[in-house]
Amino acid sequence: MGSAETLEIYPLKIQRGLTQLSFLRIPTRPGATRPLFDLLERHGVPVRFLIEGCAGDYNRDLIVCIDSEAFTRLEPELKEVEIRMQTQTLELRQPVAVIRVLGPHFDIRPGTSSLLFGALQRADVTIFSNATTITSSMFVIPDDQVETAERVIGRTFDIPKKKK
Amino acid sequence: MSEQSKTLEIMRRIGAPKPEEIRISGILQSPVLASLTLLLLGGDSDPATAVLEILGGHEINIRFINKYVDSAGNTSLCLCIDADSLDTAISALDVHEESLGIRDFMYHPTVKVISIYPHKQRPRVAERLLTTLRMNGVDPLSTNNASSVVSCVINSEYVEQALACLANAFELP
Repeated sequence: MGSAETLEIYPLKIQRGLTQLSFLRIPTRPGATRPLFDLLERHGVPVRFLIEGCAGDYNRDLIVCIDSEAFTRLEPELKEVEIRMQTQTLELRQPVAVIRVLGPHFDIRPGTSSLLFGALQRADVTIFSNATTITSSMFVIPDDQVETAERVIGRTFDIPKKKK
Repeated sequence: MSEQSKTLEIMRRIGAPKPEEIRISGILQSPVLASLTLLLLGGDSDPATAVLEILGGHEINIRFINKYVDSAGNTSLCLCIDADSLDTAISALDVHEESLGIRDFMYHPTVKVISIYPHKQRPRVAERLLTTLRMNGVDPLSTNNASSVVSCVINSEYVEQALACLANAFELP
């Protein structure tokens, strides 16, 4: 694929002031992640970002992002959740932001993902996590790199101004 | 009997209270794809970018990406590509195995992405999805959320089973 300068995308959606929680090496069994999701549901905490992947040896990794304010509120209960989930390691990153890039149809344009990842990497934006499905790509990055990322994505794609 | 099967058997025997109904708009499934899961050694630059650049250079469509960094600083990368591009992708990555720092590499030649919508960032939707699938013996290879959907990569042979159990677990229009 050549230049994506003509690819138009929707205005970026940016959620800031988040905490990324990485529950690493959870045993693969039904209901293993329930203690966490039950806690979030009980407190009405939205899941801003979610990925689950294979960690080998019948273990899974679960990465979620929630508002940092909610994290502070739930922190006292998280230790018990960690134990009930039999998580081997819980890692925290904060503050982080989630940037959603919507519209370039990653699924039918070879090279679009690499264009986006490459542009962010060249600008020294750290990508902690990414979830991409068809037309949507969500990046978890350090909160203090949001402006740089916005600028880079704005140069890589055509982002229309929001209608007033 | 494996530990997981024992747990399932016990849960089936004791039964469980009927869970609260969760209304969704629909369940989508992708065409048949292939999945690649790579564990890449951490380094100064993001190794996932290099993988995507190589695949893009071979005109390979990427329909699904899950990327995160594990506790050892290695990058876990799960990709879904068109099934007929699998051989090209494997050959291309094979050539660059050392420079990419590929520590582990798995692939599934036929998978589908099943998506539940809307997700609306509701924790119970993701929980219902993951628990229902595993209770029914379907282990999603990878899961993520996008703007309004939560999606799972499922081995093709389990797709019908997955769709059937999800149709029972969620309230569809």
